[in-house]
Amino acid sequence: MMSTVVNDTSTGPHVAQLWKTRQDKVRTQWSSILLLTPALGLLAVLFLVPLAFAVYLGLTNLTLLGPTSVHWGFSGLANLIRLKSDTEFWSSLWTTAYFIGGSIVGVVVLGYVLASLLQRASTFLRVVVGGIVVVAWMMPAVTAGMTWYASTTGNGTISTLLGMPSSNFLDAQPLLIVTLANIWSMTGFCMLVMGAALRNIPLEAIEAAKVENASSWQRFRLIVLPLMRPTIIAVVLLTALLSLANFALIYIMTQGGPGTATNILPLYSYQQAFSFNNLAYGALIGNVMVLIATVFGILYVRIASR
Amino acid sequence: MKVSFMKKSTMSKVLAGTAVMAMAAGSAVVVGGTGAVAASKVSISIAYASDTTFDTTPLAYKWWGQVKKEFNAKYPNVTVNLIAVHGGEPDFLTKLALDYHNASSAPTLAQFPSTEIKLYQSSGYLMNMSPLLKGSSWFAQYPTVIKNEGNIGGKVYAVSAGENNNGIYYDKAILQKAGVKLPWQPKTWNDIITAAKAIKKAEPKVIPLWLNAGTAAGPNGANYGILNLLAGSSNPAIEDSSGKMVVSSSGLLQAFNFYHEAFADGLGAPTAQLFSPNNAPNIPSTDFAKGQLGIAISANFIGGNWTKQVSFPYWPQASTAMGVTGLPTANGKGYASTLSGWDFGISSHATSAQATAVMNFLNIAQDSTNLIDAGNWAGWVPPVKADWTVPLYTNFAAPFNEEFGKLLPYSSEVPSDANFSTWVQGIEQATGAIAEKPSTTGAQAVSQLKQYVTNQLGSSAVTSLP
Repeated sequence: MMSTVVNDTSTGPHVAQLWKTRQDKVRTQWSSILLLTPALGLLAVLFLVPLAFAVYLGLTNLTLLGPTSVHWGFSGLANLIRLKSDTEFWSSLWTTAYFIGGSIVGVVVLGYVLASLLQRASTFLRVVVGGIVVVAWMMPAVTAGMTWYASTTGNGTISTLLGMPSSNFLDAQPLLIVTLANIWSMTGFCMLVMGAALRNIPLEAIEAAKVENASSWQRFRLIVLPLMRPTIIAVVLLTALLSLANFALIYIMTQGGPGTATNILPLYSYQQAFSFNNLAYGALIGNVMVLIATVFGILYVRIASR
Repeated sequence: MKVSFMKKSTMSKVLAGTAVMAMAAGSAVVVGGTGAVAASKVSISIAYASDTTFDTTPLAYKWWGQVKKEFNAKYPNVTVNLIAVHGGEPDFLTKLALDYHNASSAPTLAQFPSTEIKLYQSSGYLMNMSPLLKGSSWFAQYPTVIKNEGNIGGKVYAVSAGENNNGIYYDKAILQKAGVKLPWQPKTWNDIITAAKAIKKAEPKVIPLWLNAGTAAGPNGANYGILNLLAGSSNPAIEDSSGKMVVSSSGLLQAFNFYHEAFADGLGAPTAQLFSPNNAPNIPSTDFAKGQLGIAISANFIGGNWTKQVSFPYWPQASTAMGVTGLPTANGKGYASTLSGWDFGISSHATSAQATAVMNFLNIAQDSTNLIDAGNWAGWVPPVKADWTVPLYTNFAAPFNEEFGKLLPYSSEVPSDANFSTWVQGIEQATGAIAEKPSTTGAQAVSQLKQYVTNQLGSSAVTSLP
């Protein structure tokens, strides 16, 4: 009966009428704009305007001190041209990529392993180990930085335990150590998220696979991994964003050194703006970080909305 | 002034400054003279770094409090608003720079490092103090090198509150064990290396020679380290007459070669200490007190660190256990040291009534007792030469204070240009490279400095000298 009606009205003005009344069509209620105005206003004041100003600052000659701290103005593409040939910037970008990449791999693997082991652990062990890991995650970056600094330098905890008290791991492998410190401080978050995702995997699927004689690796690869894919991707992107913004940890541990070994973009931006007084150039490097974060952010939103 | 090593150790963004209060319009202040009293209310604000300038924060409060109290008793119609800025030196400098941006937040008087004077002056933030200093009894007693610290184009924009210079400290017992004749007075750089090698042989567990290296200690790490060697080298130039930064010279090569020789022979301190971003490990006063260090090229304030007031650490035996001497120049003719300090500058936004009130404040701050107290508590050599032999100064950290007073005339000022901080970063990275990888030669270190500074400042802002 329904199909007859549709067929009867498949041409002419009826189609337009039906389309207008369809419930799955995106509709605009103009009154909603009024309700959204406060949120839009806040977004503009707290994000869009500062962002636009930061972009503009990156194209000026503003300095913290000196003649151009007072009489400053638009300098065109000068800072961008400098950025292109700034070997320290490119070096810093690669250092940042290593720091973020290493952190992602470490956090995801360690977080999954811990979550998986705790699924099978006794309640007591789950509470104790889980608690310790979460405390590490909740620890302020300054405390985590000091802890790792004290542990990895000469006469520190790690070198003493290994029977090599004079070994200075932080200076020997600075980027590796600060990356490990970041992994250590973020694994708790990953473990919690992974643990929740693991608990949501239907036991029936695992049992069925066992009945079919699937090996542990096959169960992990063909059942667990596909079901946890959205969670893993979310953790990867959040770890990337949080690592990109992790200024304090490295600043406390190495201040970007020795030399420029751990000088990730946030530290280089700070150094340019406040140590060398180049506020505009520091702002430009900050804008590059915003671009990188935006890419990760868009990916996160797209994946989260699936 | 132990905490000055920490001057680059933390970050904080700037809050709005507490600032200059409007004073009564058309005020007519009775100027100068003992017991002079302002006819109408004037307010002045004074910004200082509470946690980095003096050896301890309580000592900073004590000194500023006592000067304010004396001033209030003498000038009851002037309101003094002391602005204690907390945090490390970078935090203080950032806050001050942003406060200076607006007339409403600019402090009438501020105390800042001498390396900032040109930057503030070129920004138009500082008042020409020359007319105010005419007839000043204390400023007239400054040695020329210190007078010139704030002199730009013939006008004085800042006056010294105290100075830091450098020399050589040595542990007498360790040198004796190493067979070095006391009192030790090295005539050349080679004498220093020879003594350090003898220490290494006689006392293998002792650090033979402390040389600051790397970027962890901030710009002062170079001031208290390699820049002293550069000052005593065949070409001590940091910038040329046109203001270009020197990135290659025979002087730089000499200084880097000394570092290479020291670290290649295993004479330097471990990088765990040198590269520590925290304050304590990169200051040699603790190592000396523990008997773990033989020789150090370091700043005048180390002697004060061993006093009870500072206790960093308290080491009453230091006066007899330690010796101090000047750093010889490379060619053995005289001594060499950098000179940097903290200065007072008046805001260009200050009214004439405020400027007069500030000068009256400085007259009290710079009287002999307050000036020496500041020197003792902040680890400075007082800028007035007559104070170098006053018992209040010499007895505080004997014999170190007196010795560094004697060495001050051999010192030379470090620049206060915008590009200096970038250049310092480059030279510290190069010394850090030598400390970390002692096979790095002096020539390679010069090349690293050149590459870094040229990349940061552009080829038009740097130069190479013979």
